[in-house]
Amino acid sequence: MSDRTENLLLAAPGLFLLALAFFLPIGQMLALSVEGPEGPTLAHFSRFLGDGFYLGVLWRTVRLSLIITVICALIGFPLAYIMARVGPRARLWLIILVILPLMTSVVVRTFGWVVLLSRNGLIPELLRDMGLAGRTFALMQTETAIVIGMVHVLLPFMALSILGVISRIDTRLEEAGRTMGCSFLQTIRTIVLPLSLPGVVAGSLLVFTLSASSFVTPNLLGGPRLQVLAASIYKSVTQTLDWPFAAAQAVILFAGILLVLIPYVRLTARDNG
Amino acid sequence: MKYRIASAAVAVSAVLSGTAFAQDKTLTINSFGGAYEQAHRTCVIDPFEKETGAKVQIVTAYSADAFAQLRAQKDAPQFDIINFSGGQEIVGAAEGLLSPIDASKLSNAGDLYDFAKANLAKGEGPAYSIAAIGLVYDSVKSPKAPTGWKDLLDPALSEHLVLTDISNGYGMLGFLMLNQSEGGTLDNIQPGLDAVSKLLEAGAIVVSTSPEIQQEFAQNDAWIAPYASDYAYTLRKAGLTAKFVQGSEGTPASFITSNLVANRPNQELALKFIDISISKAAQECFAEALRYSPTNSKAELSGEVAADVAYGEEGVKGLIRFDPAKIEANRKAWVEAWNKTIAQ
Repeated sequence: MSDRTENLLLAAPGLFLLALAFFLPIGQMLALSVEGPEGPTLAHFSRFLGDGFYLGVLWRTVRLSLIITVICALIGFPLAYIMARVGPRARLWLIILVILPLMTSVVVRTFGWVVLLSRNGLIPELLRDMGLAGRTFALMQTETAIVIGMVHVLLPFMALSILGVISRIDTRLEEAGRTMGCSFLQTIRTIVLPLSLPGVVAGSLLVFTLSASSFVTPNLLGGPRLQVLAASIYKSVTQTLDWPFAAAQAVILFAGILLVLIPYVRLTARDNG
Repeated sequence: MKYRIASAAVAVSAVLSGTAFAQDKTLTINSFGGAYEQAHRTCVIDPFEKETGAKVQIVTAYSADAFAQLRAQKDAPQFDIINFSGGQEIVGAAEGLLSPIDASKLSNAGDLYDFAKANLAKGEGPAYSIAAIGLVYDSVKSPKAPTGWKDLLDPALSEHLVLTDISNGYGMLGFLMLNQSEGGTLDNIQPGLDAVSKLLEAGAIVVSTSPEIQQEFAQNDAWIAPYASDYAYTLRKAGLTAKFVQGSEGTPASFITSNLVANRPNQELALKFIDISISKAAQECFAEALRYSPTNSKAELSGEVAADVAYGEEGVKGLIRFDPAKIEANRKAWVEAWNKTIAQ
């Protein structure tokens, strides 16, 4: 058996699963999105793109995903750096702390935030007591609540992606930088950050795609008034039973994520290829 | 060998006749699961089984689901009785899936309010309980007790008002009533939508499920919500000071009907079941357990229970039934218009 066929045989179950669980449904979704009463139509797409309401939903999805990604990167980078540079024991504990939230269901974690952020919850109450907020101040059903909840859910993906890269950076480079007269922050800026960029990019992509397609957290923390695209798709499927329109929205979300992915694939291909 | 075949044949026929006998005395019905199904069992099914010696088989299926099954089984129906809460009996009767009911065969039919037995001859089964939509409010925190749907627009309450998304059945009825009190009709929901956007601007909150209403009352300082009468009771059981009041402009109602499925062998037995469902005792039991409003005029409720439901001639006078067929036909457009109105 040649290497080639052996490889193919090994990959076959995975490829089969991929075809069954990924390409088949995607194909079905594409077919459904152009389905009309009289043959194929682009009406569902023009309905989405011609309606300010749906464009607003799309814009909110993109905007929130970007904000969430940036905040995750701002918290995740220093966290990953510290994790990479402390002793092995402390690192283990930090990694456990970061991964721990992933062990509970996202619904449970989100309900935790619901309790903390509601009008009589801990955080708004505290802010009110300190005189920083008005009597009716609430965080539930705001975009802030969505961002807080999503950052909590997605931070591990960012931190772990960056950690993998930073822990491979030779510490002697930083030492060399320091002996040449760099301050600590200068070393970070000129040595660690550029070298860990692939990790930051990979983490950002993960966080962006996950938050753009997430549904549970925005729905529970944002409420029905702050719709994101995934929630709008869900509504079309379950409430108005308008499956072709739901499929069209899903295709738009899918295309949007692909658009973000392609430049990244190109970028990394050039780096490693 | 011959002997064995013969005895096997006897055994088979014995088994067959056994099932035939069992079929004679078994009814298949649907119920709605959870606390509802429990109450259904205590109030109707247990007394029925005791009285007739028959067995009742329950399939848990909500109205829309049960209706889909009924349609799919058109040629060989599996249900004897089918219970609906969303007005499906109107379509089912028109499609000939349900049998007309001769009121003289129901001993309790005479005690029912007229609206509950209006179309028996067409095949629409009698309503045996009603979920009444009114105003659920916190009797301690709310500065005044609301009396009508107009009170929802009171600026003093806006910041503490909870509206329910119209993807929820009760939410839909509550919204249609608000629309009507603002001068709208089923052909024009704009007045209702305008009222909703005004309320949202003033600080009202929208939720999409009933547990969220409880959460709003418990944690988010909510005082008032247009919702079903049984929910005030649920809130009270959770330790909140909730009360229910019917709006003076009218009370939209969701009718729970018990329908006789066509082309089934056991219609006599099934009629007996329906008869027990609409009896005074069963309805008092339902009202006691879940706070659904009775449709039997003879039902007697204690003061505490009566306060939570639409009770007596006076109470049921204001009941409004928005045309379920029309709601179904417009649902898609209304939900989209609603979503656009509430979007921030």
